[in-house]
Parts: sequence; structure tokens; C-alpha cells
Amino acid sequence: MRVLIDLIVRHRNGCSLLLTVILSVVMIAVRPEAQAKIARALSMSIFYPAYIAVSQVPMYTGLYSENKRLRQELTEINTRLQVFRELEAENARLRGLVGFAERTLYTLVPARVVARDPSPQYRSVIVNGGRAQGVEMYMPVVGERGAAGKVVQVLDGMSMVQLLRDPSSRTSVMVSRSRTVGILQTENGRDFFVRLRSHEDVRGQDTIVTSGLGGIFPKGLSVGFVKKIDDGNPLFKRAYIDFSIDFDKLEEVFVVRLPPLWAAQRAELDQVKTGK
Amino acid sequence: MMNVALKWAGWIILCVILQSTLVPYIAVMSCKPDLPIVALFYLSLRLGVMPGVYVGFFLGLGQDLFSQSVLGQIALAKSVAGFVAGLFNERVVRLDPITRGALLIAVFVLNDAIVMLVQIVKSDGSAGMFFTELLMVTLPRALYSLVFAAIPLVWVNVVKPHRLID
Repeated sequence: MRVLIDLIVRHRNGCSLLLTVILSVVMIAVRPEAQAKIARALSMSIFYPAYIAVSQVPMYTGLYSENKRLRQELTEINTRLQVFRELEAENARLRGLVGFAERTLYTLVPARVVARDPSPQYRSVIVNGGRAQGVEMYMPVVGERGAAGKVVQVLDGMSMVQLLRDPSSRTSVMVSRSRTVGILQTENGRDFFVRLRSHEDVRGQDTIVTSGLGGIFPKGLSVGFVKKIDDGNPLFKRAYIDFSIDFDKLEEVFVVRLPPLWAAQRAELDQVKTGK
Repeated sequence: MMNVALKWAGWIILCVILQSTLVPYIAVMSCKPDLPIVALFYLSLRLGVMPGVYVGFFLGLGQDLFSQSVLGQIALAKSVAGFVAGLFNERVVRLDPITRGALLIAVFVLNDAIVMLVQIVKSDGSAGMFFTELLMVTLPRALYSLVFAAIPLVWVNVVKPHRLID
């Protein structure tokens, strides 16, 4: 025994290799089921800490890809959320319009604004209602809060609407409280006012509505509110107004199926104009 | 003694962790460096045959367990690799960097040759592809690993030359 121990000590390097080679060969040589048992025993004993540590590694290496995937999902969800919010806002607007449609006495053609005049103070919009939907020239166009403009060009599926804030548009309006009538106009394209005689009754916050005298807009559609009165001129005064409708946010409108009052007399009017 | 054991255990664990985390990302045409064998190589050179054999055995056994290979296959290869590298340990012979590099490649080839031989024997496969595999797989892997093996050499010889005095 003593000799054997001396031999092992003297050839410890070779013996170490022999021992590990024998162990390895035994493990290699045994049946797969036995290998699985040995592997399980080793995993659950001396290699358990390493097993735990290594099993955590894929979790941490997957963090980057998981983070990337979650970011992508978050972006998709946020995009969808924005779409839902947009739909919600549109729903609210449409509900308001439906309420308006129920309140009004006229036949309305719903239309969506599909294009705008690119100028900063855009003066006209294109809506997706046209001749096919019963839209005709000079029909008034309204929004939820009041008059928006009038149809100035009609195609089969779309129409051009000249907005009230077009400087070339002249709309007959009146002060709702005092029934004083005037013409809505502008000098600089931004500030709109109603020109009235100096003695006529108008106050701040008065509601300005369509007078019905122009033949296009029916009487009583809200146009705006008086925000300032300029009575510097001894003969006339100007009632500057804020429009009821926010033209910058105009998205859905109704075309009122109400031909101009003078449409029936169009032929006679033309005859008068030409003198025949 | 304890400090030395802890230091080498730390290096080996670091190499094993890097092998399973960083190395897959730096593979070049599916050729990956083998950092554990580099660590084993340096350990054997520094500490000798016995630590090299036993660390190689347990390191290989651990790799066997976690790599779904034949149990004992890598343990056998790493034991022999640790033994061979340990024969050239610093107490016996001081090698210049180029010889170290050549020895590392030889250890790599030996390690892979044993793994492949066990594979051939266990699967009753043919030995026809043996040398092709060594040439096409093992050699590029050894050369790639040599790049990482050069880091400690550069560190010791260039960045901190005073370490040679220790």
C-alpha cells in the first residue's frame, strides 16, 4: 500500500491524467440512460451553482432583443392609441353634427373636407359631396356651430366651398338681438367686420347671424360674435367679429340642400341682366 | 494559495460567461473563439499539470452538461489539453510569445481531435472528414482564439512590463 501511495505521489501528474481519462471514458462508455442519470446528479450537486448561473444567462442575453421587441410593440400600441383618440374625437364631432342635423329643418348632405386651399388664410375647401349627392351651385354649407360658406363649384363627387372668410365673399348678416342688417366684409383678409350706420344698435358679444337677404343662406344661421366695435367714423361703425366656426379645424360639414331663392327666377334675371 | 485559486476561478468563470454571452455576437462566418480553453491554457502554463488536468476535467464536464454533447467527451479533451499545456508550465520552461501561440494552436488541435474522435467512435461514423474538420474548423477557431490569447500577453509584456519581475 505504501509503495502504491509513493508511486502515485511520484507520478501524480500522470495519475491525475489517468484518473480523469478513466472517469471521462467511463462516462462516455455508459449507456445514454446512465449518462442522463450522471448528468442529472452532477447538475444537481457540484454543478448546481454553475447550472443556476448559466440558466440565468439566456435571460440576460435576451434582454436586448426583448427590449427591442417591447419598444416596437409600444410604438405600435401608441400609434393605434393615437388612431383611437383620433376616432374618438371624430366620433364626438360627428355626434355634435348629428345633433345639429336633428335640430335643423333643412335637408343636409354630410361631407368631409378632403382638401384645403394651401394659402395660410385658406379661403376655400374641397368637400367629398358633389352632384351625385344632390349638391348644387350656391348651396350653403354649414358646420356644427353655424354657417361655413357656399358651394361655388360642383363636380360629380366633390365640390368647392368658398368659406365665409374669403375676402371676396360678401354675406348679408344681421345682429341677432337688434335685427340690424349689414354686410360681412374685410379689408386685410384677416379682420372681418359688419359695417353699420353709426346710430344702429350693436354691442360687444352680440351674435351675428345670416339675414337671409342674400338669397343663399337661410335666415338665422350663426356667423359669429361681436368682439370689438370701432365707431371712429361719424357716419359708420364697424363691428369686428369672431367667427362661430373655427375654419382651421373644419373637417366635417353639411351642404344644405337649399337652392338659392333666386334660382327659380334665374332665367328672368338673366334676361333683365342682358336687356332682352 | 487560496487567493491564486480564487483568481483563476474568477478568470475561468468570466471566460465561460463571455463564451455564452459575448462570443456568439463576435462570430465570423460561424467561427467562434473558445475562451475557456484559452483560460485553461494560461492556467496550465502558470500552475502546472495537476491544476491543468483537474480544472480542464471539471471545465469540460461543465461544458458537457450544458452543451448536450456526449457526457465526458469535452471533459476528456480538456483534461488532456490541460495536461499537455501544463507540461510547458513556467516552472519548467519559459516560452517566448510565438512559441506560446504555436502551443496554444497545438492544444486546440489536440482538444478538437479528441472531441471528434469520441464523436466518431460513439456514432460509428467515418473518419473521412476528420482532417478536413481539423483544417477547416479547428484551425480558424484556434487562430481566432489566438487573438484573444494575445491580450494577456500584450498586457503583461507591453502595458505592464513590471509584472514580469513579480
